[in-house]
Amino acid sequence: MIVCWQLSGSFRFNTCVFNVKQNSPFAQWLRVLTIGRRPKVTLTRIAVLVVTCFVTFKFILLPIRLEGISMQPTLRTGQVNFVNRLAYLRHAPRRGDIVSVRLAGPHVMLMKRIIGLPGETISFHAGRAYINGQPLDEPYVKFSCDWEHEPIPCGLDQYYVVGDNRSMPYEAHTQGRAERARIMGKLLL
Amino acid sequence: MKTFLRILLLAALCGLGFWLWMILFPSPEKVVLKKIASLAATVTFSADASNITRAGKAGKLIGFFAVDAQIIFDAPGQTARTLSGRDEIRAAALAGFGGMPALQVRFLDVSVRIGADRQTADVSCTARANAGDRQDFGVQEMHFQLKQLDGDWLITRAETVKTLS
Repeated sequence: MIVCWQLSGSFRFNTCVFNVKQNSPFAQWLRVLTIGRRPKVTLTRIAVLVVTCFVTFKFILLPIRLEGISMQPTLRTGQVNFVNRLAYLRHAPRRGDIVSVRLAGPHVMLMKRIIGLPGETISFHAGRAYINGQPLDEPYVKFSCDWEHEPIPCGLDQYYVVGDNRSMPYEAHTQGRAERARIMGKLLL
Repeated sequence: MKTFLRILLLAALCGLGFWLWMILFPSPEKVVLKKIASLAATVTFSADASNITRAGKAGKLIGFFAVDAQIIFDAPGQTARTLSGRDEIRAAALAGFGGMPALQVRFLDVSVRIGADRQTADVSCTARANAGDRQDFGVQEMHFQLKQLDGDWLITRAETVKTLS
């Protein structure tokens, strides 16, 4: 008796032909290890992984390598970290956040901590930061500092950013007001 | 099969023609990008570069600037300075190159905007400079204005940009 079924569209005959040598358990194990049991599925997985990595590390989490001493001891030279570009989608940058400030593009960025928010006035007296005349508690500043500076007002779209290492003279430390558009994201780790 | 091969050959020829066209007649953007890369190479020298080499580089550097070019330098922690004209630029370059053990300059994130008249260009970039063999380096956002003069793109104005005000 011959029984016949109509094959569904998704059904495919397995057309792979293996020689005797390939049929050995080692060859099969090697094949499974390299291309998986279903090569098409493996390829799809690889493609999805590549696209996910590209989107993640190009637009969401920017991998960065830190250089310089201005954020010591919080961040050290050579450390690898990520900038979360989606951190400020729901809320504005906050005081105490370590943010990346772009220069001409994303290849070189400044890593600084926000201490002043839009509309506030920042000053330094005896090495201590003051916000609108009130001293700011900064437990992350570990090195001694003797900065003195007149009050600097932040615009409505500006954040005052500064490094944690304030042991160098005020003029030698890159700091100041950064426009919101220059803040690319928040440090992840 | 023959038709397919012919189409493939035609496509390859078209690609080759386009590539040759781009090589022979580059767009102003590409010419300006090349100019900026060449500028970085000109101001870069190693520790073993002789004084003659350094003087030669300073002389070559002048070729990138227009006669009435201006360089406005105002970076944090540095004295603000303006150089006007090729003579001042040459003198500053000679003094600077002679006083540094070595210099490596790279321009990153270079973006070029060609003016509507196709004769002027604005370039924004980040300059990264290493002086000597030290690990210490400086980064500075820069803005260049270029103008096409006698068929050559020359810098008419170069200035530092304050990333943080």
